[in-house]
Amino acid sequence: MKLLRIELKTRWVKILKDIWGNRQRSLLVVLSIAVGIAAVGMINTARHIVERDLYGQFRAGNPASLILYVSPFQKQLAGAVQNMREVETAEARRVVAAQALNSKGEWKDLALNALPNFNAPKVDQFRLESGAAVPAGREILLERRSADGLGVKAGDMLTVKMPDERTYRLRVAGIVHDIYVMPFSLMDEATGYVRMETLQWMGEQPYYNQIRLVAAQQKTDRASVLKTGELARDRVIEPAGYQVFRIQIPGVNSDPGQHWAQNQINGFLLILQVMGILAVLLSGGLIINTISAMMTQQARQIGILRAIGARRSQLITMYLVNVWILAAAALLIALPLGLLGAWGIAELAASFLNFNLSEIAVPFHVLLLQVGLGLTIPTLAALYPILEGTRTPVVQAIYHQGVRGEEQERPIDHLLMKLKALSPPVLLSLRNTFRKKTRLAFTLATLTLAGAMFISVFSTRASLTEQILQVGRYIAFDASLSLKPGTQRQTAEREALRIPGVQIAEGWASSSGVILHSDGSESKALEVVGLPHDTQTMDPALQAGRWLRANDTAAVVINDDLLESEPDIQVGDRIQLKIGEAKRWFTVVGITSKHLSGARVYMTLEEYGKFTGRMNQADVIRLRAEPGKLAAPQVQAQIAAELETRFNNAGLSEQTASTQNTLFSTFTRPFNIILIVLIIMATILSIVGGLGLTGVMGLNILERTREIGVLRAIGATNASVFQVVIVEGLVVGLISWALGAVVSLPSGFLLAGAVVKAVLQATVHYRYSPWGLLLWLAIVVLIGVFASLTPARSAARLTVREVLEYE
Amino acid sequence: MIALPQTANTLQTDTQLIRLVQVVKTFQSGAGVFHALRGINLEIAQAQFVSIMGKSGSGKSTLINMLTGIDRPTSGEIYIADTAVHRLSDSDVARWRGETVGVVFQFFQLLPALSLLENVRLPMDFCDLFPRAERSERAMALLELVGLADEAHKKPAQLSGGKQQCAAIARALANDPPIIATDEPTGNLDSATANQVIGLFEKLVEQGKTVIMVTHDAEVAQRAVRRIQIADGQIVSDRSG
Amino acid sequence: MNHTIRETFAPPVLVGTHQPSPILRVCGVSKSYQTLAGAVQALSGVSFEVFPGEFIAILGKSGAGKSTLINLISGIDNADSGEIIVNGAAVHAMSEDQRARWRGRNLGVVFQFFQLLPSLNLIENITIAMDLTDSLPPAQRRQRALQLLEQMEIAEHALKPPAKISGGQQQRVAIARALANDPPILLADEPTGNLDSKTRDGILEIFSALAREGKTLLIVTHDQEIASRASRVIHLRDGRIVEAER
Repeated sequence: MKLLRIELKTRWVKILKDIWGNRQRSLLVVLSIAVGIAAVGMINTARHIVERDLYGQFRAGNPASLILYVSPFQKQLAGAVQNMREVETAEARRVVAAQALNSKGEWKDLALNALPNFNAPKVDQFRLESGAAVPAGREILLERRSADGLGVKAGDMLTVKMPDERTYRLRVAGIVHDIYVMPFSLMDEATGYVRMETLQWMGEQPYYNQIRLVAAQQKTDRASVLKTGELARDRVIEPAGYQVFRIQIPGVNSDPGQHWAQNQINGFLLILQVMGILAVLLSGGLIINTISAMMTQQARQIGILRAIGARRSQLITMYLVNVWILAAAALLIALPLGLLGAWGIAELAASFLNFNLSEIAVPFHVLLLQVGLGLTIPTLAALYPILEGTRTPVVQAIYHQGVRGEEQERPIDHLLMKLKALSPPVLLSLRNTFRKKTRLAFTLATLTLAGAMFISVFSTRASLTEQILQVGRYIAFDASLSLKPGTQRQTAEREALRIPGVQIAEGWASSSGVILHSDGSESKALEVVGLPHDTQTMDPALQAGRWLRANDTAAVVINDDLLESEPDIQVGDRIQLKIGEAKRWFTVVGITSKHLSGARVYMTLEEYGKFTGRMNQADVIRLRAEPGKLAAPQVQAQIAAELETRFNNAGLSEQTASTQNTLFSTFTRPFNIILIVLIIMATILSIVGGLGLTGVMGLNILERTREIGVLRAIGATNASVFQVVIVEGLVVGLISWALGAVVSLPSGFLLAGAVVKAVLQATVHYRYSPWGLLLWLAIVVLIGVFASLTPARSAARLTVREVLEYE
Repeated sequence: MIALPQTANTLQTDTQLIRLVQVVKTFQSGAGVFHALRGINLEIAQAQFVSIMGKSGSGKSTLINMLTGIDRPTSGEIYIADTAVHRLSDSDVARWRGETVGVVFQFFQLLPALSLLENVRLPMDFCDLFPRAERSERAMALLELVGLADEAHKKPAQLSGGKQQCAAIARALANDPPIIATDEPTGNLDSATANQVIGLFEKLVEQGKTVIMVTHDAEVAQRAVRRIQIADGQIVSDRSG
Repeated sequence: MNHTIRETFAPPVLVGTHQPSPILRVCGVSKSYQTLAGAVQALSGVSFEVFPGEFIAILGKSGAGKSTLINLISGIDNADSGEIIVNGAAVHAMSEDQRARWRGRNLGVVFQFFQLLPSLNLIENITIAMDLTDSLPPAQRRQRALQLLEQMEIAEHALKPPAKISGGQQQRVAIARALANDPPILLADEPTGNLDSKTRDGILEIFSALAREGKTLLIVTHDQEIASRASRVIHLRDGRIVEAER
């Protein structure tokens, strides 16, 4: 045979013809290798793209290490801060909370950012997409996602409502891409950029309230950066007569200079990486089984080859080359497939996180990784079966007669022999399942892992749902609305109860405060909340101690979130709170579970009033239609709309109302995306497991065609033959299901824990998913039946004569 | 001598049990057409011990495959116990065979995963002729008949070739079929065991079974009462007595 | 052909005449197998000699040990005790790999069930024997394979796979393969066991022709027809030689 004009040695002709002649099995091997390699490629390429594009673009715009919230100041202060040698850059900014009217006529929150110099922004630099980079007076630049969300484009007019309720129309001069703000789609808050003159025109005083600085040294070290911030405050800002309200590292629990979602993204990519490794391992197991099958089928031919002069080394090389050819084919599939998958993930991330993708190509190191794995794993996996398969003595390979016997007896075989109650056809299936124990072990390992991962993904979903429910206890209202400072509580509650359908209205008060430590230092900022002790819009889950009581004096309940920064606090301790200048000692009587709203200290309204002097004031109103169940989303939306309209008209509020449902949606949106990706990975693993079982069943039946012929000779109809085969497939499936169920308990805990930690930076409330278990049972039964069906049918179709003759 | 467990399956008709009418079998292969059987006409009555002898390629194995339904004629008719076997589907013929013809192979072909008792029970489970509760008992009785009651719970691999063949015969009797068909039953046995097996066949014929035996061994063929010789797809001699 | 003479009388020692030495010597060879039913003694103390150019038939019933004997001679199997010396090579002392290599170059083996490689065509089935032993320069292999197929009168099917030809034709290819490396000895285990009488005669004719050409043939069989064509018959029963007749 000539290949490209080269006369091939016959042994390679045999290998090539074998590959083509057993197309199905060759395809199985190719797919097994390709799946794992594609997964690895997909994940690593996606990671590379995200790092290069997302993190790269982030770093390129001079991200702020720190944001200082300062009392109104002029921009020279920022210059003074920048003169510090610990500070590389400092820029002033003014942020005003306003509202904008979207194309549907709804008011949406809008953060108006005023910069000192639009021509050359120094920190958190945004980039121009379209239109003008510098807005003129009465013009506004919009972040691109905000523009999409509001339904406006460059050149349109935008109606903006300021905190004093006055509205202004601004022309959208340009659209920018700001990678430093959380996208509109996530936060439901738009971001716009105006000149200070424009703010003045809109009735605001011309001052700045934020300093964004970039540290000179150790830009990514938390402690060092915070120190720099404190230095700036102590050496420059406060001596100049200004007050620093807060020093904040931007982002969600990130390190300075890091993208606000970097920890979450990295955590998630890590999980994917682990699953990718699992896919590779599983595919390795699949390869071992399939190559074993091949070697078993080739046994006679190997005997012949040795009979006519082949040495073992020649045979080993031949079959390794067989595997390498298939591995090469697999790479041809896996490389583009991995790239495609990476592109999908990158696109998803880019639209979610609002960044641009530059080029979608496989980086060299990932290519190397894929090729390396693509050749090494199959070689390692195939080595054992090939070595074993070429070891069979020639006599055995060529001269075997009758129905083949079994491997060595093991305890399980003795156990199965004792089972006499079952009918022989079922016994046959059962014992045949355990005939080739190593092969069974590999098949079970593959399926069990796949099953465990599958169920774990469902458990993760259940755990996340549970997490959300837990958090939901703390937002147990149908609608809530932030009130204007100074609003009287009774007024707000009375107005709220006028809304049709509302039976419960609670006014809560809150302020920002700190805990004073014994050494005089202050804790991180926390929220002090005054609420009715018998509140019906919150259902606290107490981890320790008790809830507030009516006659409590100087008692507080803290939440678990606070313990992150103040871990030593226990029930019974006394803590000193400070709000503004007021200080007071309180006793901690209880600790509630974490509810992801930040550190909080709860006290009764009376105590709050006594402490802060703001008696009978409310900062937020929380409503419920009825004390029993929460209302349906549409009803909630109606109530919220009513609430907003009435209160805005009455001058009690100028914000938009929220419902529990919308808060949930915002919360759960990122999770859904994560869950979808996890389910895709779990499906990939299941496919690998299914392929494994199919291949093995096919091989099992092939080896037993003679036995099936005997069954037909002694009276078994098609149905009986099918039964014998399918029962075997089912038994394997069910055993793997049981094992998978056991493994899925800890693996689910690990996966759910990893996901929740990565995304929420919290510990998980683990919930096992019985639905996942049942669904996997159904899947594994289907796999078991279908994997057996085709081989059974082809085996039954052979005439008995063909089968009983020497093969 | 232990009597076979009696059932209602022993036919008492006068008509021939087996009738082959102008049976032809040709094989198509890549090399062309091969005529295995060229118009066989054969009648076998009940309770006969028949041997079919011939060389390799004479058609003897093909002939017995016709009788057991393991293969189907290209043309011609096969009536066994009033059933037109040539018209049955593969699946139906398997069922019919389980009830009517017990097959004993040259290489025993017991299932290695089952004990002797379970091997003998297996045909009963496929054909449902005996109530479930009785099957194990009947299987034991059959093993006793062939002298293997003590080894009932052993696996085939633990026994010698001769014993395996006897177990195979017990299995062939499981559904109490009127016909026993066997292809080279003693081919893999030493002379002493071969003798034992033939003796067993003779016993079965005495009890009313029809035994049809294919062999290339003249000595073995002589033991049958009716000796048929086949060559090149045709019956060349048919002697009784 | 009275080889009986060779058995019962010592050949006359003629001055200056070169004495033929045996091409095969089997000395005290025994082999037993372990089965779950216990140990089976396949061969016990078998000894005989074969001289170049002889056509030997090894006769016996199934289970007599014939296949075991031929497998030991070819080195496919390993004796428990005794010596097997083929054309000067001590087969019993070689490792499995060495035997394979030696066998490929020095022996031709023909099996009862042909044992051709199903995925290769007829030419390739022959050239693979040459490829594995590197016996001929690659450029010449195809030519030789065709020649052998012509010799076996099946050259017109050269590019077909074994499945597309009859049993008799497959056996011819098997013989051609056995001759690929031009070995001095040919071993065959029931070569006509699976063939009809007419085809069998054709194969036997080939063997006789090879014998006439001077090849040494050892054929294991239970068929008396083959035995009648041999120059010498060795009877095996229950693992021992019972008589070497003719």
